Amino acid sequence: MQVAVEGPWSPLLGRLTLDAIPYTNPILIFTFVIAATAGLVAVGSVLYFRKVGYIWREWLCSVDHKRIGVMYMILGLVMLFRGFIDGVMMRTQQAIAIGPNSPGYLGAAHGYLPPYHFDQIYSAHGTLMLIFAATPLLTGLGNIIVPLQIGARDMAFPYLNAVSLWLTVSGALLCMISLFVGEFSNATWVGLMPFSELPSNPGVGVDYWMWALQVSSIGTTFNAINIIATIVKMRAPGMGWFRVPVFTWVMMATSIIGLTAFPVLTAALCMLGLDRYVGTHFFTAGMGGNYMLYINLFWTWGHPEVYFLVLPAFGLISEIVATFSSKSLFGYPTMIAASMGIAGVGWVVWAHHFFTMGMGPDLIGFFSAATMIVGIPTGVKAFNWLFTMFRGRIVFTTPMLWAITAILLLLLGGITGMMLSASVVDYTVHDSVFVVAHFHCMVLVIGAGIFAAVTYWWPKLFGFKLNETLGQWFFWTFVAGSLLVFIPMFQAGLDGETRRLDYLFDTSLRPLMLLEVAGIGVYFISVFFFLAMVVVSLVKREPAGQDAWGTGRSLEWLTHTPVPFYNFAVTPQVHALDEMSWRKANGLEKTQPSTYVPIHMPSSTSLPFIIGMLSFVCTFSLVWRIWWLAGASLLAAILLVIIRSFDKNEGYVLSAENIAEMERKLHTVSLVAEQSKVLPVGGHAEAH
Amino acid sequence: MAGLEFHYTLWITGIMMLIIVPTLLMTIIFPLRYHHSRNAKYTPDWHFSATIEILAWAIPLAMVVVLAYMSVSAIFRINPWNAPELASAPGASQPPVKVEVIATDWQWVFIYPDENIATIDDLVVPAGRRVQLTMTATDVMNGFYIPQVAPMVDAMPAMVSKDAFEIDQPAQFTGFSTDFSGAGFSWMQFKTRILAQADYDAWVKSVQGSPNQLTYDVFTQKIAQPQVNYGATPSYFSAPNAGRIFGMVVMDAMNGKTYPVPDSLTKSVASNEGKAPASPAAN
Repeated sequence: MQVAVEGPWSPLLGRLTLDAIPYTNPILIFTFVIAATAGLVAVGSVLYFRKVGYIWREWLCSVDHKRIGVMYMILGLVMLFRGFIDGVMMRTQQAIAIGPNSPGYLGAAHGYLPPYHFDQIYSAHGTLMLIFAATPLLTGLGNIIVPLQIGARDMAFPYLNAVSLWLTVSGALLCMISLFVGEFSNATWVGLMPFSELPSNPGVGVDYWMWALQVSSIGTTFNAINIIATIVKMRAPGMGWFRVPVFTWVMMATSIIGLTAFPVLTAALCMLGLDRYVGTHFFTAGMGGNYMLYINLFWTWGHPEVYFLVLPAFGLISEIVATFSSKSLFGYPTMIAASMGIAGVGWVVWAHHFFTMGMGPDLIGFFSAATMIVGIPTGVKAFNWLFTMFRGRIVFTTPMLWAITAILLLLLGGITGMMLSASVVDYTVHDSVFVVAHFHCMVLVIGAGIFAAVTYWWPKLFGFKLNETLGQWFFWTFVAGSLLVFIPMFQAGLDGETRRLDYLFDTSLRPLMLLEVAGIGVYFISVFFFLAMVVVSLVKREPAGQDAWGTGRSLEWLTHTPVPFYNFAVTPQVHALDEMSWRKANGLEKTQPSTYVPIHMPSSTSLPFIIGMLSFVCTFSLVWRIWWLAGASLLAAILLVIIRSFDKNEGYVLSAENIAEMERKLHTVSLVAEQSKVLPVGGHAEAH
Repeated sequence: MAGLEFHYTLWITGIMMLIIVPTLLMTIIFPLRYHHSRNAKYTPDWHFSATIEILAWAIPLAMVVVLAYMSVSAIFRINPWNAPELASAPGASQPPVKVEVIATDWQWVFIYPDENIATIDDLVVPAGRRVQLTMTATDVMNGFYIPQVAPMVDAMPAMVSKDAFEIDQPAQFTGFSTDFSGAGFSWMQFKTRILAQADYDAWVKSVQGSPNQLTYDVFTQKIAQPQVNYGATPSYFSAPNAGRIFGMVVMDAMNGKTYPVPDSLTKSVASNEGKAPASPAAN
């Protein structure tokens, strides 16, 4: 039943041999040294500061939605950095390899990367950036903010939430280990078909890609279920559907996409797996297989996935623009309609990803027009943001600068997207770097939204603001880098530079390549400013108050800063859409509850972490076809799930006295903190 | 025809500028105008205006209606399967030149069924006549693209796709693959030469006399086997049964014939040591 694969296979280690370790590749050895050093520093410092128990109990076993959100974001940032390094390698390769006959270094024919290595790099770049950077960053933000915005204690299913996180982590680990054991897919992040089938891709690369995507997409589906359940069932009393904050609304739209679209990917990857492992013919060119089926299935997921990523960013921009304009969001009901519209139309446009694959004019006409319809709700959103700023009191804080930049990038990405949706244009720039520049513009909208959100909600979570000066330096260098990289890329694409080629075909475009490399240099500076921002802020710890920016509008600004693990001492009663603004207008934002009621909280558990690690072992062994280990780890994971379902632990209850005591302490601390510049710590807090 | 695409690109972009430029200006002006230091008019509770909302939906809607109409009419004009645009071109009165394109790992094979010849990585056609391309691939997908000449269309295994163009003056272009097909993708270029009719006829004659013969067996046993043609060196064949090969290649792919690429070949491609054994079969 099992198909024959190239090379040796042993029952104990499967396809894994010493040759799988690329110890002869200088680039990978260098990467390994860096990664190993970083890993040793991280583990070493945990050991040195004797924090193993703390990390294990408070983080790895945590089911607190805020901690899970933070871990999602750390994962996303690490993967963002790795994806960025992949981008650096692609840009420098193309700036060095000018023409197919230019000199080569490090054993490559031209440039310093042989094609098969270059192919893996851009496949990894796409997979990592979309699935393991953007998705975790946005999921993390959703995890942190949604329960706070609706006044909930936690997500609806805290345990499932942790399982989602650790499944995503195991997928990311699989991508990382492919650097040093074996190879990654060279079939791009979309999995070209039939190129991803065994005859063209006999190595383990496609298997790594497939399992990483599979395991993380299961995690994302779980997370979508969780967010929908949380929003539907756990809103604070008084929060009818038209008092739900706009970010929570878009997370609802996003999660509906996630819940409905990701299973399509799961099914497509299952069929690909059967093709590669069992020898079926779902997606082969012959024997009754049909690779167009895969391409349709992939983009049936892939296009909604694009909106799965961009909609949360739209929600973040909406929150931030309203806050820093000191004004209600303009057109709240149409904003929600537009979000739902985008989520809906996103389902009927998938075929625009393959206009060139022999489609007739009727189909192309339909999908071209359908794609353009997306421009309508997106345009509505842009207008609503503009009219939120109109007659506002705008403050140029770092989050606001990011949000305005996101709108500008959206215009650039939007106009090029409309161009591409016209197949007459697509016929000339399809598979060129013009497309690459277009979707990077859109991903930069997401990136700008994420950086805005990180700066904006950071004080709520950690109790101190990020350094504003360094934040603005980070902002300006990042934006300058983006423009330097992607504006020349648009030009190169229009001039016919095809994507996925490891050298520059039209040598006259070299100045553009050099500009892009200059942009990459500026990006490097921005990474430095980002790290400096975090470190300086951690050291300085300028305390932030309950309403850190002074113009917060939604419920999360009502509770303490930093947010206690139970979120709200008593579940707040909601009176208005912008509850915090309403309370400030009525002088109710500082009131303390007179009585407390017990709070039911979920217990920490190590099971999700263990299940995640088992699924990593399982997928890793499937990649290398180590059947016994794959079976054993899968069985162990299933057993753990069964054992857990017999667990009678229903969490624990915080007593009213406990809460009162903690609240008293928090209250004192926050008042002292607000005065710390004037008074020595521990001063006359009671006087205020 | 590429000119027609350029024309539409300019129009579509231009029409969008009508909405993009004012929005861009508003995005820059509003934050500056309503900056808190300016003490401009401030309406903290103003959050809805039916007029603005109707306009916010209607303006993009109108734009989309216009653009969608343009896009749909354009695709019917340049339709690569049967372009009405070519029916009114000067070459419409003459019979089209038929070329069958097969993308292999990793070369382009051009078969001329009416002339009984074939080439690798060199597409030669006469000026002033319509060129009708029928495309397939042996094993994986490749994108067929000559930027100045014809719309990009994929060559797909077990399927047949079509493209067409007409160039009225002798010229030279380079075509290449746009859809990634493996490590040899980097060398999947082909020359595109548009010759005057007389030169074209002479060229066909000379190739018909070529001692290299392309038959179905030569194709499957040598040419279709995975190989990198470093530098995309062209080769020329006489092919007495040229008309049969294309259909058989499509049927082969449908019947599950593949040309497996060994892992070791992928890894050796374009490292310096891999450069020596370049495409012995084709030449």
